[in-house]
Amino acid sequence: MTTAAVPRTHRQKEIRRHLLLYAGVTPFLLIAVFPIFWMAVTAFKQEPDLYRMGNIPFWFNLPPTLKNFETLFYQTNYGYWIVNTLTISAWVALITLLTAVPAGYALARLKLPGAENIGIAIFMTYLVPGIILFLPLSRVVASLGLQDSWWALVVVYPTFTIPFCTWLMMGFFKTVPMEMEEAARVDGCGQLSALVRVVLPVSLPGVLTSVIFAFTLSMQDFLYGLAFVAPGDQKPVPVGVPTELIRGDVFFWGSIMAAALLVGLPVAILYNFFLDKFIQGITGGVGK
Amino acid sequence: MSDLKPVQTDHASHSRRRFLKVAGAGAAGASLLTMLDARQAPAQLKGTTLRILTWSHFIPAYDVWFDKFSGEWGDKNGVKVRVDHIPHLEIPARMAAEFAAGAGHDIILNNSTILARLYYKSLLDLTDVFDGLGKKYGGWIPAAKSPIEVEGKIYGIPMYYILLPMLWRKDLFEANGLKPPDTWELARVAARTLKPKGNPCGIAFSHCNDANLVWRSLMFSFGATETDPSGDNPTIDSKEMREALRFAKALFDEGMTPEVFSWDDASDNRFLASGIAGWIHDAISAYRTTESTNPTVFKNTYVGLEPAGPGGKRVHCVAPIVFLSWKFSKNPQAAKEYLTALVDADKDGMIASTGYNMPFLNDNAKKPMPILGADPKLQVLQDFPKIVAFFGYPGPYTPQIQEVALQFVLPDIFTRVARGTSVDDAVKWGSGEYKRIFSKHKKA
Amino acid sequence: MTAPLGGGSESRTRAAAQPISVRSGAARWWRTNTSRRLAFGYMLLAPAALYVLLLVGIPFLFSLYLAMSDASVGDQVSTFVGIGNFRAAWEMDTFRDALRNSIVFLVVAAIFKSILGTSLAFLLLQNFKGKKLVRALVVIPFTLPITVSVLSWKWMYDSQFSVINWGLNKAGLIGGYGSESWPIWLGQPHLALLACIGVNVWRSFPFSAIVLLAGFTSVPTEVLDAARVDGCSFFQRFRHIVTPMIFPILIIGFLFDTVFTLSDLSVVYVLTQGGPGSATMILPMLAYQIGIQAGSLGRGSAIALMLVPLLFPALFLMLRNIKRRDW
Repeated sequence: MTTAAVPRTHRQKEIRRHLLLYAGVTPFLLIAVFPIFWMAVTAFKQEPDLYRMGNIPFWFNLPPTLKNFETLFYQTNYGYWIVNTLTISAWVALITLLTAVPAGYALARLKLPGAENIGIAIFMTYLVPGIILFLPLSRVVASLGLQDSWWALVVVYPTFTIPFCTWLMMGFFKTVPMEMEEAARVDGCGQLSALVRVVLPVSLPGVLTSVIFAFTLSMQDFLYGLAFVAPGDQKPVPVGVPTELIRGDVFFWGSIMAAALLVGLPVAILYNFFLDKFIQGITGGVGK
Repeated sequence: MSDLKPVQTDHASHSRRRFLKVAGAGAAGASLLTMLDARQAPAQLKGTTLRILTWSHFIPAYDVWFDKFSGEWGDKNGVKVRVDHIPHLEIPARMAAEFAAGAGHDIILNNSTILARLYYKSLLDLTDVFDGLGKKYGGWIPAAKSPIEVEGKIYGIPMYYILLPMLWRKDLFEANGLKPPDTWELARVAARTLKPKGNPCGIAFSHCNDANLVWRSLMFSFGATETDPSGDNPTIDSKEMREALRFAKALFDEGMTPEVFSWDDASDNRFLASGIAGWIHDAISAYRTTESTNPTVFKNTYVGLEPAGPGGKRVHCVAPIVFLSWKFSKNPQAAKEYLTALVDADKDGMIASTGYNMPFLNDNAKKPMPILGADPKLQVLQDFPKIVAFFGYPGPYTPQIQEVALQFVLPDIFTRVARGTSVDDAVKWGSGEYKRIFSKHKKA
Repeated sequence: MTAPLGGGSESRTRAAAQPISVRSGAARWWRTNTSRRLAFGYMLLAPAALYVLLLVGIPFLFSLYLAMSDASVGDQVSTFVGIGNFRAAWEMDTFRDALRNSIVFLVVAAIFKSILGTSLAFLLLQNFKGKKLVRALVVIPFTLPITVSVLSWKWMYDSQFSVINWGLNKAGLIGGYGSESWPIWLGQPHLALLACIGVNVWRSFPFSAIVLLAGFTSVPTEVLDAARVDGCSFFQRFRHIVTPMIFPILIIGFLFDTVFTLSDLSVVYVLTQGGPGSATMILPMLAYQIGIQAGSLGRGSAIALMLVPLLFPALFLMLRNIKRRDW
């Protein structure tokens, strides 16, 4: 066999492998992405363009327009909604971190009696549907004087982010080897310092994952936002869009799509950045 | 496309002059001015707050007017007014939350789902306001009391209702030698003729508000009733109901396509705007949507009165819009004054809604009505006030009927028949559901 | 990594001089100093536990009370009716439909999510150019706020303007608008349920894929290589090595997704409101209709609470498995 033939076959194999993989991945890409593409096109379409039977949905039949975006920014409170969404999610992530990380650590590492049962109990609260909770919670919100302010959501969203992130952190903390902590203890660390200086840095990917899940879960909610926040400028995006871009039975589709894009894409980008850490972290944690 | 502009009414910076300029019609503005002057509220309201929750009207310009009106009224009386808009379908959830919290808005709008009878123990008694306005404007239409009267007291102020007239394509009708759909039979003939030509008609057979309203209009016009006048007994098991169902089945088979099973409230708007519909029986919002999205179709779309049933009867089931006020409101005095002022400005509201908000007061329903009187295509809408009814006709709008409506029992009866269940079986099922729901609400 | 506290060289010499006893002392710390450890532990646990107890636990108990009373939204006074609400719910046709649909929804969605998620995870495990981009794109359905993406699907399923139908029609797979083969996604009972499940799967399968991917990458390659050397086939490796190792992660992901799917209101609320008939009626939607829209809080709570028993079997099975495998 000549030296020239070997690399050629290898390259052929590589190309074939790549082609197969791309073929395999394409359906998933299509399923995941075509709605997004369609949403993007619709966001730039003029309204009459949407209502003709013969029109191609995936491209423009009438010239594209920025009108939907204009409507979104100048005639609704979209700007407020975006700021609210980001602020609310940031606060919720903070609260979740401050509560779920210590709790996860305590349940995973400190061999507390009844740890498992407490863990299960925390998980069980996740089972309670929001449609039951929102009524008693509205009393709580009102008594705190937070009704109709987005702070109400900051108080309420941790009820579903904390259980989830506690369990997530439990999982991550269990993968940190005991020896690391013991070594720190040997060197004279107190319990708290051992946690802060040794365990946390290793579990940083887990912590970051909790942050992005807290973010994502905050953006899933509709019912609480609807029940507790009525003023237009206090709503987050997931509540504002269905409530102000649908009037009676008239849907402002172009603007709805524009709203979706503007909030969905940046979050996806952010998500991806953290996804790297998430996957690295799981790999790294066990490898050590 | 129509504007969406929400107006933050916290800022008291609108001068009356500027408002009048923007509002346009000089006469309307002047009369508003007079009314505002006439209703100057007492001094103790100064410095208080009034919070109003209302829906997002399908005519965005109306919301603009509403917010401006509220701000103006607030400025004039020294009351800080804030208006919040949410979709009407979400208002029940919001009300439940506010009730549980014991705090919230001072005034809340109900659209279709009128919860006065459900919450009446916690609502402000508005009998004096209601009676006062009735005296002033020639009385309320007969159906007005139905959703809001409990044990002789009135717990809400009806503001307006939205019609669901026949919207039919005159060009298609004329091209096929069809008479306008003045009776249901004519409508059916038209559908039968136009469907093979690619222009079927459409009425939603699904879980949506339109289905609740239109099928009731049909059955009431056929002489069927929903409850007896006391409201205690469902009466859908009748000969007339069966006739209405048979008709609906025939109408579906001959004139509609199966897509009607998936329709929501907006689907018939789209159906008309796309040019496909031969006729629809839909909220007047469809007429407006078509105007902005398909001018050709719009030009050929005409508005018709509720078709007559076989006995010549016409009854039009509509969704009322009513304003309620919580007992725990911190500003009941302002609430009452505001509601009175709002009713006083009823004609202006109607103009702002481009003629779609139909009045509850007899004087305001006299011809010629604003906008409707002037537009030849819309003149027929002026004949509707005589024939409107609400859920539960001829009985009152009780919580039982509310639940029946929310569970879409009536549309389900029609859907079953359209899908092939025998009329008798469907009626039997429906009666069973009604009885079950009614028995739940029998309190000691 | 971290600098030792309390005087560097001294403690290190100490450690070096007496390695065994100190190390065992450190190990024993986990078993001794119990009260300090416990205090520390409970202190760490307290914020989360309190938050959840106050804002979820108590409302949950309140909802239990509601479920056993005849409370309505407008009534301050209600009377105890025991299991009357549950019995009443069971008698409703719609309730039984909702229960059945909820279960069908969960199972079918889970099957699709597992298949799609696993295949995608395997694909992403391979190395190829543009993998990062693919991963980034594929995650988007999960990151879009749910209300907005469901609204988009509503339009995509529209009886007249459906993009899906348009595409299928252009590909020659179905007839045109108005023909027999033009699917009315939200109008035909079985299609409607499938359509709702489809949206749920579309949203969640990226999440499943990512969780699986993380699990797969966490299996040390040495173990897999050793198994390959020993002659294990791909599937044997998968079943006996990979699956047990990633089981804890899988379980968490699976459980949370199950809870979300069962209690999710938004998809059905926006797409069909439970129709046509009760083809897409699920428990949360029914509870909302009866409890909030119709104002019968007692019955609504009872219906919503019926969700919880559905999850118990799954919950206990999983937890028993976790206890057995010492993770």
